[in-house]
Parts: sequence; C-alpha cells; structure tokens
Amino acid sequence: MTHPGEITRRGLLRRIGMTAFVAGPGAGLLSACATAGTGGEPAPAPSITASADARNPFGVDAKKPLEVVIFSGGYGDAYARELHQELYKKAFPGVTIEHNATQQIGTQLRPRFVAGDVPDVLNNSGPESMDLAALAAEGHLADLAPLFDAPSIDDPAKRVRDTITPAVIDNAKIDGKDLVLNYTVSHRALWYNAALFASMGWAVPTTWAEFTALGEQAKKEGIALFAYPGQKGPYYQLWNLLYTAAKIGGNQVIIDIDNLAEGAWNAEPVKQAVTAWVEIQAKYGEKSYFGLDHTQTQVKHLRNEVLFYPVGSWIENEMAKDKPDDFEYAIAPIPDVTAADAMPYGAIQVGVGENFVVGAKGENPQGGLEYLRIMLSKEGARGFTERTKNLTVVNGAAEGLDLPAGLMSAARAQDSAGANIITEARFEGWYKELFDYGTAQTNAVMAGRITPERFCADLQEKADAIKDDASVPKQTRSR
Amino acid sequence: MLSGLSHVALAVWALLIIAPLLWTFLASFKNNTEIFGDPLRLPGELRLDAWGRAWDTAHIGQYMLNTVIVVFFGTAGTMVFGSMAAYVLARFSFAGNRLIYYYFVAGLAFPVFLALGPLFFVVRQVGLLNSHAGLVLVYIAYSLPFTVFFLAAFFRTLPEAVAEAAMIDGASHTRTFVQIMVPMARPGLVSITIFNVLGQWNQYLLPLVLLAGDPDKWVLTQGIARISTLAGYEADWPALFAALSITILPVMVVYIVFQRQIQSGLSSGALK
Amino acid sequence: MRRWRTYGFVAAFLAVPLVLYTVFVISPYVQAFQLSLTSWNGYSSVVAYVGLDNFGRLFGDEVFWQALRNHGIMLLTLPVVTIAIALFLAFLLNLGGGPSGDGMRGLWGSRFYRVVFFFPQVLAVAVVGVLFQAIYRPDEVGVINGVLARLGVEPVGWLIEPGLALWSVIAVMVWQGVGFYVVLFSAGMAAIPKDYFEAAALDGAGRVRLFFSITLPLLRDTVQVGWIYLGIAALDGFALIQVLAGDKGEPDGATTILPVTIYNTAFSYQKVGYASAMGVALFFLTVTFAVLTLRTTRRERVEL
Repeated sequence: MTHPGEITRRGLLRRIGMTAFVAGPGAGLLSACATAGTGGEPAPAPSITASADARNPFGVDAKKPLEVVIFSGGYGDAYARELHQELYKKAFPGVTIEHNATQQIGTQLRPRFVAGDVPDVLNNSGPESMDLAALAAEGHLADLAPLFDAPSIDDPAKRVRDTITPAVIDNAKIDGKDLVLNYTVSHRALWYNAALFASMGWAVPTTWAEFTALGEQAKKEGIALFAYPGQKGPYYQLWNLLYTAAKIGGNQVIIDIDNLAEGAWNAEPVKQAVTAWVEIQAKYGEKSYFGLDHTQTQVKHLRNEVLFYPVGSWIENEMAKDKPDDFEYAIAPIPDVTAADAMPYGAIQVGVGENFVVGAKGENPQGGLEYLRIMLSKEGARGFTERTKNLTVVNGAAEGLDLPAGLMSAARAQDSAGANIITEARFEGWYKELFDYGTAQTNAVMAGRITPERFCADLQEKADAIKDDASVPKQTRSR
Repeated sequence: MLSGLSHVALAVWALLIIAPLLWTFLASFKNNTEIFGDPLRLPGELRLDAWGRAWDTAHIGQYMLNTVIVVFFGTAGTMVFGSMAAYVLARFSFAGNRLIYYYFVAGLAFPVFLALGPLFFVVRQVGLLNSHAGLVLVYIAYSLPFTVFFLAAFFRTLPEAVAEAAMIDGASHTRTFVQIMVPMARPGLVSITIFNVLGQWNQYLLPLVLLAGDPDKWVLTQGIARISTLAGYEADWPALFAALSITILPVMVVYIVFQRQIQSGLSSGALK
Repeated sequence: MRRWRTYGFVAAFLAVPLVLYTVFVISPYVQAFQLSLTSWNGYSSVVAYVGLDNFGRLFGDEVFWQALRNHGIMLLTLPVVTIAIALFLAFLLNLGGGPSGDGMRGLWGSRFYRVVFFFPQVLAVAVVGVLFQAIYRPDEVGVINGVLARLGVEPVGWLIEPGLALWSVIAVMVWQGVGFYVVLFSAGMAAIPKDYFEAAALDGAGRVRLFFSITLPLLRDTVQVGWIYLGIAALDGFALIQVLAGDKGEPDGATTILPVTIYNTAFSYQKVGYASAMGVALFFLTVTFAVLTLRTTRRERVEL
C-alpha cells in the first residue's frame, strides 16, 4: 500500500529532524501561547544566570551531588541512568549522582517538596504526577530561561532555544515564566496495523461513511473496528473525543474548554464528536474493553482483534517486545465526521510532552539546569530516541537513526497534515478533577449509560463548578 | 446423605479458595500468548524465566529480608509495649485509666492515609526518615490501638486470685506481670501477635511514604506494587503472576507450619 | 507506700507506649483535624483557615453522598453474608457429622478445610486485588468468564457493570474474610457443651433445628465481635478497591468509597483541607458505628 506523500527515506529522516518541527507550518499551531495564572505571588527563588562559557554556563560545582528522579513508565529509566547521567559524569568527573526511579511521583515527592528537601531534576509524569502550578506558586521550580538562553553543547554559537522546537518554549510557561521542559514529541490519532490492511486490501477510511463501511467488513472477520482501554481512566478516548471535536469545529473548541469558557462543552462539535463515537462503539465495538487496561487492549490490538486504537506514537516502543513481525504500526487521521469539518482530512494531533523540571530550592539547581542542557544535546537526544524509539524536541537529533515504521508513518502524517495540527487539551494538567470526571463520564457515555447530550451537560456543570471554585488556581490560553 | 451434601458444600468453598491461587501459580509459567488465550488451559511448558524477571525487578530477596527485619522488631515491640499498657489499663484502677484507654482505642477509627502527610514530618523531625528504625516505631505506634483494645479485654478475664496470691508472696508488680500474668495470657498474646504480624507484613501505605527516598530499604509490598505497575507498562503479565506466587509461597509455608498455633491461638484469644 | 509503688509501676508501664502513640499517631491526626479547617493545597507555605466551610461543602458534594451510600450497602451486606457463610461452614465442619452416640462430631477432613478456608486471610490485600483482576477480567480470558464461555454463556463485565461492580468487590472481601470467621465460630461451637446437643438429639431434633435452636443463640457473643470487625472493614476497603476498580469509583460511582475519595481529593486534586474534612467525617462515622454496635450488643468486657 502507498502512503500519501511518499518520500525518500533519507529525506524523511532529515525532515523529522530538521524541518518538520522548526520551519514546518505546523510549528506555529503546535505552539501555544503564554498562560496567565491567577495564583498568588510566587515566592522568590534564587535565579541563575547563564554565562557564555559553553562548557559550564551555569557554574556547576562538580563537588556537589546531583539528585535525579525519573518516572519509570513507558520510557523506563535506563535512558537517564545509562545515558544522560553518564554524560553528566563525563562533563564533571568525580561527581556523584543519586538516581531515583519511581512510578509514584506524587506520593514520594509531595512531602519532600513541602519539607523543602527537593531533587534537582524531576521527571514529573505518570498517574501520580504533581500539580506543577502549585509547585510554581511556591517557587519550587527553577526558571528555565537561563537554560534556553545558554549556549548549546553542540554549537556554542547557538542558544539552546534555537536548537529545539518552538512549542517547547510555549509549553514551558506557568504563570508567564519558563518553568517546564517538555522533552518528547508525539503524534496522536488512530493507530492501526498497516500490514493487515495491505493483506486484506483495505484502505484507510477518510470519511465517516467509509469508516463505518470498514466496520461492517471488519465485523465479518470478527474484528472490532475500534476499542479503547476503559479501565482505570479511559483518557485515550477522552483525548480522541476532544480531537474529533476540534477536527469538526477547529482548535477553538479545545481552547474554549481549557479556558472554562461558558458553554464550551455544550458546543455543537463536541456533541457531534461524542455522538459519532458512541455510535461506532455501539455498532462495531465490544464492551469487554471497558474493563481492560491499556496494555491488555494493546496486546489484543497486536492480535488483530481491534482495527483502530486511539493513542500516541509511543505505542510502538511500548509494545515492541510483544509486536509480531507481521504487525506494522501506522497512524491514521480521524476520518471526516461531517462534510464541513473545520479541519480537512489528515489533521492529527502533534504535541510535546514528558515534563522535566528543576528544583529551585534543591541543593544543586545549577547542576539540574546543566543536566537538562545535556539532555537537549544531540547526543543526549539521539540516545533517548535510540533507546525509547520516541522523538525528542531537539531539532535534527533523530537524523540518521534507523526509526521504526510507526514513527516514520507519523512523520509522514504530519507532513501531509501541514497546518492542520490539532492542539492538545491542557485542562488535563490544569484541572485534573475535571479531566478525571471527564474520563469517568467517557466510559458512561460510550457504554450507552448516558446520552451524548447528558455527557456534555454533565461536563459543563463540572467545568462551571471548577470555575467557581476559588481554591483552584486558573490558567488561560489564547491559542 | 446429608453428610454427603455437607462435603459438597465444604469442597465447593475449598475449591473457590484454591482455584484462584493455583491459577496464579500456573499463569506464572505461561507466556503472554497463553495468558491471552483460554484461561482454563495449562501452560504449554514449564517456563521459569518469568520467575527470574520477577525476582530481579521486584528485588524480592532484598525486600523479603527487609520485611522480615521490620516485621520482627515491629511485632516484638508492639507486643511488649501493647501488653504492658493493656495490662495496666485492664487491672489497675487509677485516675485517668478510662481516659487513657479510650485515647488508645480511638486510634482504631482513624483512617491511616489521613495522617500520612503530617506523619512524614513527624518522622522527619525525629530524624528517622528512610530508616527501618523509624518504620518499626511507626508500626508499633499504629498497632497499639488494636493490641491494647484486644489485650485489655483479655487481661480483664484472667482470674484475680492468682495475681493476688503472688503479690502477697511479695512479688513485685513487674514480676507478677512477667512471670504470672503473661504466661496466663498466652493464648491472647499469640493471637494478637498473629494479627500484628499479618498486619505489618501487609502494610503498604506507611513504608511507601516513610521509606520513599531509599529503595534499598523497601519492603515486599512496595516490590509487588512496583512490579504490578511495571507489568502494566511492559506488558509482562507472567512476571506479575510469578511475583505474586513468590510472595504467596513463603507465606503459605509459614502458615502451614504454624497453622495449628495460629488457629488455636486465634480462636482461644478471640473468645475470651 | 504500696499505693505509690503501684502508681510508679503504672506510670512506668504506660510511659513508652503513650509517648510512641502520641508522637506518631495522635499528633499527625491532630494536625489532620486542624487541616480540615483550612484550604491547604498540600504545597503552600501559607495555610488559610476557612472555619467549617469544608464541612458545609460536604453536604452538597454528590461524590461524598455516593460514597456514603456505598458504605451503607457494604455495612449491611458484608457482615451478613460473611457471617452467614462462615456460620454455615463452621456448623458443617464441627457438627456436620450429625448426632451420633457420643454427641456431635465434625466431618471427616475438617482440619484440611479449616486450613484452606483461613488461608486468604494471610494474603496481602494488594496481592488479592491483582489476583481478582485476572479472575474478573471482562473477556473470555478472565477466569470466571472462561468458565462461563465453556458453558456457552456470554462474558460478564463483573467490574464494569454499575449494577455488579460493588457486589464483585464485596464478594472478594467475603472470599478473603470467611475463613477467619469459620475459625472463630468453630472455636465457639467447640465450646458448647456436648450434652446440649445430646439432649436435643434425643428429642429427635435434626441438624437444621440444632443449628437454630442451640448453636446460634449460644454463639451470639462471638457473632457480635465478628460484626464489629466486618463493619470496620466495610468502612475501609481502600487497597482492594484501589487495585480492583481504580480510583475514580468506576463505573459511574458504583465503587466510590470514602477512603479512595479522600486519597484522590488530597493527592490528585490538591485539596488537602477538604480531604481532611472528609477524613474527619469518616472518623466520626466509624466511631458512631462502633459505639452503636457495642451499645446495642452490650458485650460485657468492652465497657462503655
């Protein structure tokens, strides 16, 4: 089968590395604007200035130990232990690094932050990740502006900010300051087995009619057209609903939701998206997936029991061990729901993710910044991609690497999406209570226990309640 | 005929207990394909690799040792201090007796995780964070309410006469307690010891918070949690089932060896 | 003199336990109670007192009431079901052999059964949770659904149907708990003098009548103890629900319980003050339950 916009392999790799995230028209949309918080005055944190010394711009004291805490999830923690920390040790011979890997970021670190005993580098991720806005309000997060302005390790003539995709800078902002480094780039839409499609002679559906027609065909083969993991937070499907709504009504739909705008959830595109997917679930889905977790569902996907699975490009590495040779991951954009969708067929979500922060009140914030600078070097980023098969925000770092099929398909999809990049929903990080409620309601609506109208009304009610809750600090975005 | 039916009922319940455990044990020899196949089929071959992975990733050996150390001292301390307090509260009348008794018993009603945050600071302040000693003290403190509640009730039922005789013979209170009352209370002490061993062995929230900073000191439940999360991320269910089996087996062995004492201790203790 | 010696002894014996308990248990809880009057978010260095606002909010909080309803169901069913099954099994074990020449006898193999029944009690709740996740799996790969599939029955969503989920969880609690009460009741039954049964058996009473007219009334005390333990278990359930059903009370709040809600509110939503208020409510709930049960059953040795 041929993919749209087939290009040469080398050209593609260069694109992944150099053009797609920098000069590509999508880059503008990828980025989001400054967020304005309504929190209190941040407590003063010692600010670090970057000198022009390319080898040690932050004045790291090699005698000071460095503590790094890594969320050991889909990416594992080997990339930090075997790569970034070794690079740091090479730069500062004799330095000691305390490496901590955990899945329970919040439980382990929250008390430490309150006590002021904070790590220097923290990979804040996973189901227990901490509220960064709250940490920022206490001045716990070091300003990353010096990092972005520091000379790049690979080319001292360039600043770090010029070597990474601009979306990083836009997504770094909390209350107007650069506090968070997003390290990975991921592509989210529907994932499928290209090899199965080729052998069955199926084409990737571009309209909802084609989508349901394929559903009928798949049904005859005993395959569910679509499934998402419903157990313990079906957030993949909530994302999918939101991205579909954005495809129908444009990114403003998600921006309004993020801004807790009046009636944002009751907007017509949201209703249309939910209705469309509920129908897919009812006709072509299978209810047992409501009780399976993501890896269980993904194994069934690998066994061709499911055609389309809503997820991000990390899936390929996550399932690498279990993937049979005749399974080829590929990304499919969400089909056109209506004839008048605001975004044409091909729109996918591309975003930056995987948060890293530096503890401002730790023992060694200089070391923390330097550690991030090393992560953002070509060697650090390339090694990450090699080990995790996921792209980083560092321009050109993946160049020359042998990337797996799924990642290539994602790059091609971004290429043909052009300017039609669906934005990420940020209320997931801003208003976790609303997001959690949304995931629970997603299961309820997809299982047919509530109507799509009720789903929208319920979420609107919850959003309004959050808006009125003075104890929840508010964030806004303009695009 | 009726006794035949009785056997059927008992056998059914026994099967309900054994089947899931046996299934877990067998599942640890399966590979992912078999785990995603017919659940009632036996593993195709005896694969032991999952056990190796479980042992390594969950650091079962180290964590088992840590757990044994912490539970041993935790339970020992609980028994010593718990029985002392319970004895005094049960058999001596003094101003404030009732108050102190309820002070202890009130602890039964506290949901543990409510205290987690403040507890972290308390332990930190006394400088025992990330130490087994700190965890042992906390275990003792959190086991006291039930221990005191249970043992006080037990000590009250012991006959007055023996203790009085001993006192008349000139034995000190302490000697009376150690040489007469404790042996008499043995069934109660055995059963509450079992309770505490089980409770502390299975404790998860407290070590999670108090040992967070030092993975070398973690206990078994933390290891299980770790591997169960990892199984989710790495799709390694055989290792998850192997880890479950590895934790179940030693408990089972200890239980079978001591089951007579456990059962008689529990029943005689609970009935007093 | 002797009086003072006694006071010295009392003080010496109480000192260490009291200090340990006060420092590690009471003081954190006092702080938690204090926090229930604040809007603290778990990070902030500023702690603002909001008086009883948090408690006022509880009344309007749907999730809170949902949790209370679920606790109510568990309080009613968990003890009844567990005790009924345990009594039944204990009766079969001890007296199931039927009246015979020398009174009642137990069944052959009763020792083996007792050992097996009790075993789940020694397993960590986290282990049991993970285990039952595999058993309740909603497709044919699940153990129960695999059995059902053999019988030609469609897979059942044990943990994903709102009408079923809580019952599935309660079933696990019963599964784990029954053995303990079998042992407890067995001991109680063994303590019933044999001649009671002999006399009744002479009157021609069958086993069913023996159970209701002799065993049950004489076990009243033991059953009441069991009731309290199980009631406290019904107000907890944290680890099991967290592992089995997740932390959002899915599906549709069917498994929402207070401990999980408190944990989420404090640690996911950064409302430590509000969560502490829920914790205080749970505390009073537990105390009320315990006092009511003890009062109504008037167990002599527990003085109230």
